Amino acid sequence: MKKIFAIAWKDSIIRFASSSELLFFIILPIIFIFLIAGGVPTGDEDNRRRLLVVDHANTAISQELVSELENSTSVRPDVMSIEEAEEQFESRRAAAMLIIPASFDIESIQNGTAQLDFRGQPNDIDSSVAQRAVETAIRKASSVMSAANMALEEAKARGTFESSEDEQAYFNAALETAKSLQADSPERITTIQGNTPDDFDYDPQANVSAGQLITWVFIPLFGISALLAYERQQGTLRRVLTTPTSKATFLLGTISGQVVMALIQMTLLVLFAVLAFKLNWGNPIGLYIVLTCACLAAAAIGTTMGTFIKSEGQATGLSIMAGMLMAMLGGCMYPLELFPPFMQSIARIFPTTWAMQGLLDLSLRGAGVVDILLEAGVLLGFAGIFFAIGVMRFRYE
Amino acid sequence: MLKTFLIGLKDLKIAFRDRAAIVFMLLTPFLLTIGMGLVTGRFSSNDSSGALNIPIVIVNLDNDSLGDALVEVFNSEELADLVEPTISQDAEAARTLVDEDETTVAIIIPSGFTQSIFSENINQSENIQIEFYANPSRPTSAGIVKTILDGFMARVDEMRVGSITSVAQLIISGRISPEQANAVGEEMGARFENTSTDFNETLITLNTSTNETETNEVDMLAFLAPGMALMFLMYTVSYGGRSILAEKAGGTLPRLLVTPTNSMQILGGKVFGIFLTGAAQMLILIGATTLFFQLQWGDVIGVVLLVFAAVFGATGWGLFITALARTPAQVGSVGTAVMLIFGILGGSFFEVENLPVIAQMFSKITPNAWALDGFTSLAFGGNLASLTTPLLALLTMGIVLFLISALLFGRKNLVQK
Repeated sequence: MKKIFAIAWKDSIIRFASSSELLFFIILPIIFIFLIAGGVPTGDEDNRRRLLVVDHANTAISQELVSELENSTSVRPDVMSIEEAEEQFESRRAAAMLIIPASFDIESIQNGTAQLDFRGQPNDIDSSVAQRAVETAIRKASSVMSAANMALEEAKARGTFESSEDEQAYFNAALETAKSLQADSPERITTIQGNTPDDFDYDPQANVSAGQLITWVFIPLFGISALLAYERQQGTLRRVLTTPTSKATFLLGTISGQVVMALIQMTLLVLFAVLAFKLNWGNPIGLYIVLTCACLAAAAIGTTMGTFIKSEGQATGLSIMAGMLMAMLGGCMYPLELFPPFMQSIARIFPTTWAMQGLLDLSLRGAGVVDILLEAGVLLGFAGIFFAIGVMRFRYE
Repeated sequence: MLKTFLIGLKDLKIAFRDRAAIVFMLLTPFLLTIGMGLVTGRFSSNDSSGALNIPIVIVNLDNDSLGDALVEVFNSEELADLVEPTISQDAEAARTLVDEDETTVAIIIPSGFTQSIFSENINQSENIQIEFYANPSRPTSAGIVKTILDGFMARVDEMRVGSITSVAQLIISGRISPEQANAVGEEMGARFENTSTDFNETLITLNTSTNETETNEVDMLAFLAPGMALMFLMYTVSYGGRSILAEKAGGTLPRLLVTPTNSMQILGGKVFGIFLTGAAQMLILIGATTLFFQLQWGDVIGVVLLVFAAVFGATGWGLFITALARTPAQVGSVGTAVMLIFGILGGSFFEVENLPVIAQMFSKITPNAWALDGFTSLAFGGNLASLTTPLLALLTMGIVLFLISALLFGRKNLVQK
């Protein structure tokens, strides 16, 4: 036991010999959680596409058009100056912009000269969506004018007007009638929400915190491979051979030290999410069962990697690469539910998927200890398989 | 000049002989690009252009002119990228498809819908409504379909209000008698039913334009691949910077100084080496994604210029980190941290607009954001002119960081015997 503690303590000293380790241990994970969780949508906000609107006219009809756009179910207008809109559009921060020219008023619509300028990003589906929404808003804003125009054309088909004033008076009267009819128009569409079960539980703070926690703990645990390679390169493993220390004691010391550090790191990140986002991680016993099992699985993979990789440099690179890939494919960066179906199935071969599943079951779905036993069992399975391979392949030289 | 070139070439060879460096420079960005492609469905879908193809079911129980017109609208070429309609005659089955999350919306056009709009006696006509049965787990897609349906209904209402207004005004003005109203109304209704209606026709002309593009489709990999390549470019430049300090610590730098080579030639060579390695990394990744995924990066000259500018800007960062660090290990740690932070801030994983406002501001100091902007422009068919801002930003970034780094190197007497 003393030996195991001594080996674990020695590894901690090596790991934290440079203060830059703190960067990866706690500073970067917190920065990443803040950046990603602070930016991703919560699901409660307006999820309509943003449409930049420049209203040079500022007339009653242009405001009515903007008002119709505000009622749209697919875009939300963001009225701003032409300079600001141009800047945002050119830097592709918006898919489309609508420019209402200064000449846009009732008269221009009546005499058929009213024009609006719509600019969309090429090959951008959001631009097509925005164009549809603008066309619908135009239709709604100008429908009474169209109706009045239609009435005028019908009248002209049955005789001429004595003067242009008569014609205008006829149009104005038709416009009033049309407005009154429009106001009394019945609702033609009834919207009913279906009974689709919404099994996509998503909370940005919970997802991002859990995802980053797993990512930033798996990478250093995979880094056990670098630790083994370093000791092998330095010849210190050979020196251990001359002492009465078994292979199992050495590995247990190395792995347990890293696992304890990973649990400390996870605890700090769990507390950060609690303080920063008031995140409820769920059942604490369940939480630490999942975290411990995840740590053991990652440490076992790191041990196995360490028996294959020769140099510390390669081990570091491969640990980061494997950690990032498994995090990405295991749903730690993007929700697993958004993956294509075949990728959702493939993702089950990664321990990150099971760790994520366990944490989200606890924090989002209110699961208890019994409910996360499957995830914990699978993670322990990973740990068992990879420890077995690691111990079998482990050599001091 | 030759010495500078030779030192640079030597560093390039060393970098590409280092297996650990190759893992980070080439293998990791390549595999992460594949990973991003897999999770976004790029490799599982035949369509890489980002078309929505929202699945909807239309149940046309009306079987009359307006019901048919609505079906026609949703099947039009204009909406081909937005919706994927299926026609059904079973309203209950359509609702079940929504309930089972198999489709986004069921649009049920009831029997007698057209008749209710063009009824002989409008005042007594029954208000028959189209049922919009929406999938609550797909609110954005349902919202888009609703917009299209709203546009159609607004046109229908416009025709209805126009007809009633026309008849009413004709009576008021004495052009027809009240007894003629029904006949005139019928005649107008028949005209609407028998002439094909342009559902896009309005009194207001909508002039549409898009930014210039030569390509018809843009591959989503065109956003992912440069994002990953640029993120790991930051690793390469810090790796190069680390080699300056490592050579000093290892004694090879002082040895170089006893040869007839001055410190400027040595430092210039080291910087040139970083630049060459970064450019080689980017060009290999671009070549590999073009070869394996048929990814179109756009104008070749533009891509090469942008690669050089991005590597120049990133090299500036690599030197700056080196100038601030005391040991090669510090350059390695800080370089990796900067690589990851710039990756997030520069849009390698998430669109910059989705980050907090303060992060969006900081993204401007990363070469990743500017270069990614340029690569996106090129993928959209942009030309050299569209690269003006990113190129200027990257070159300015590089020059400013080079000057600061030179000042710091001078203070530290880095390249001295």
